[in-house]
Amino acid sequence: MYPSQPRFSRHILKALSLILLVVWSVAVLYPLIWTGLGALKDNSQFMLGKPWAFPRSPWLWSNFSNVWNQYHFGQYFINSIVVTAISSLLAILLSATTAYVLARFPFRGSQILYYFYLSAMMIPMILGLIPLFFLLNDLNLINKLSGLIIVYTAWALPFSIFVMVSFFKTLPKELEEAAYIDGAGYYRTFFDVMLPLARSGLISIGIMNALNTWNEYIMGMVFVNDPVKYTIPVGIAVMQAEMQYRTEWGPLFAGLLMSMLPVIIVYMLFQRHIVAGVTAGAVK
Amino acid sequence: MFHIAKRERFIITFLIPTFIFFSVFTLYPIVRGMHISLFDWSGSSEFMTYVGVQNFVDMLHDPIVWTAIKNDYSLVLGKVIGIMILATFFAVAITRFRLRGTGFFRMIFFMPNIISAVVIGVLWRFIYNPNIGFLNAILSLFTKQPIRTPWLGQEDTALWSILWPSIWAGVGFYFLLLMAAILSVPTSLYEAAEIDGATQSRQFWSITVPLIWEQMKISILHIVMTTLNGSFVMVWIMTEGGPDNSTQVMGSYLYQMGFRQYHMGYASAIGVLILFMSLITTLIFQRLLRRDEVQLS
Repeated sequence: MYPSQPRFSRHILKALSLILLVVWSVAVLYPLIWTGLGALKDNSQFMLGKPWAFPRSPWLWSNFSNVWNQYHFGQYFINSIVVTAISSLLAILLSATTAYVLARFPFRGSQILYYFYLSAMMIPMILGLIPLFFLLNDLNLINKLSGLIIVYTAWALPFSIFVMVSFFKTLPKELEEAAYIDGAGYYRTFFDVMLPLARSGLISIGIMNALNTWNEYIMGMVFVNDPVKYTIPVGIAVMQAEMQYRTEWGPLFAGLLMSMLPVIIVYMLFQRHIVAGVTAGAVK
Repeated sequence: MFHIAKRERFIITFLIPTFIFFSVFTLYPIVRGMHISLFDWSGSSEFMTYVGVQNFVDMLHDPIVWTAIKNDYSLVLGKVIGIMILATFFAVAITRFRLRGTGFFRMIFFMPNIISAVVIGVLWRFIYNPNIGFLNAILSLFTKQPIRTPWLGQEDTALWSILWPSIWAGVGFYFLLLMAAILSVPTSLYEAAEIDGATQSRQFWSITVPLIWEQMKISILHIVMTTLNGSFVMVWIMTEGGPDNSTQVMGSYLYQMGFRQYHMGYASAIGVLILFMSLITTLIFQRLLRRDEVQLS
């Protein structure tokens, strides 16, 4: 038997909470929808002072082809996809091997090595930006996608190792032992038994690293000055800087939308993996 | 004997490539960055003069460094307060009131976290744009004269205008962390409190906060660290540190000094300062937030 007063105030609180949750949802979604509306407008519609207005028909789908061709977003897309795919796969390979050893083959100093990688997650990446630029320059990797791939792979390692070590530790030892008894060596056991078992962990870090790489801007800008090699974030930043000289807001909005869409689609498809991957890093 | 050798060879082949890769492309640049901070260097290799701690002494007399430090900590404070209040509120509301549509809210709230800081920065530049932007257009509905406030172009509003999108983009992640923490609190505690007639706010302060404190602490530390280490991307996209260096943060100032003005030594010294600031601040926050651990008996 509850007193009626708290009951009543509970309902008010509940209603108020719901309203605020809806307000925040709108605050999050609306800027994204607004981008979509803007992508279909021409300059005169931007100047009307009614940014919430629906795009006038005919909708300017040409903004998309314009940004894809004239602004070379097609090229940026290919660059971003190449860099993201290769560096994510490399990071998986390099981190899973080390993580497996750290989780299953303790040796003198394995703990130290683990914390060595872990502590790198706290170091501001920008401190290494200048030396990295000159290092890549000496290695003839400036203005090359391969340079970016290397840098992004290295950047992804500490987090990936951290997640994979805890993942391998949760796997049962019996399967490995069975594999050894069947005469499989260490390598066979790792590639044929452990990696498939660790699949969901690998997917999590793979998607996380892919998102980070896809979205990365500073290194992409500093290590690549050749417009043919730009990644999407760099392309967007350059395009918006050009808006000071020529205003083509429609294509810019189209570019923003096109760079967001793949990420949002991946997010919808792999929501659980992404949430698991993102939160794993902060729980430490 | 043979077996052990095999095992060691396996360990070594699995560790070495990663270790070399990491050492060359992460460890070496960081150590080298600390080293360069002791030189006066424009980037061309012939003229690299050792100046000891002169760069650090110069920083003490550089007003922009002080502005940048102030801005960094303003963003840290603003983000910690803004994000924690919103994220905690949403997490509590959804879990405690058992609202419908949890999955929907979760999906929407987290969305800004997966979008590039560049896209968010450019998008919000347009929301703040004095002529075509959304914000002024909305405000103009309530005034006779159309409002033309250049939010990012004047010193007293620019930093606040950067703070808001950073909060907007950050809430979802911490909301998820806190929600998971609250869901792990046994419901029997709340039921008992309910029977004893405890109000919602009493339940929040006496049950929820003590039991999710560890997760709140982690969230705050994470905000502090990511802000000090990474807020410059948003700043660089939205204002490039302007107007008149008023929104400069340490990271954007490093970039400007290094790659715009070619003071590589000085820029590296700024990088070292960022490292120390972020380590010391995290330690201090860790101390401040220490609280007796609550154990469920």
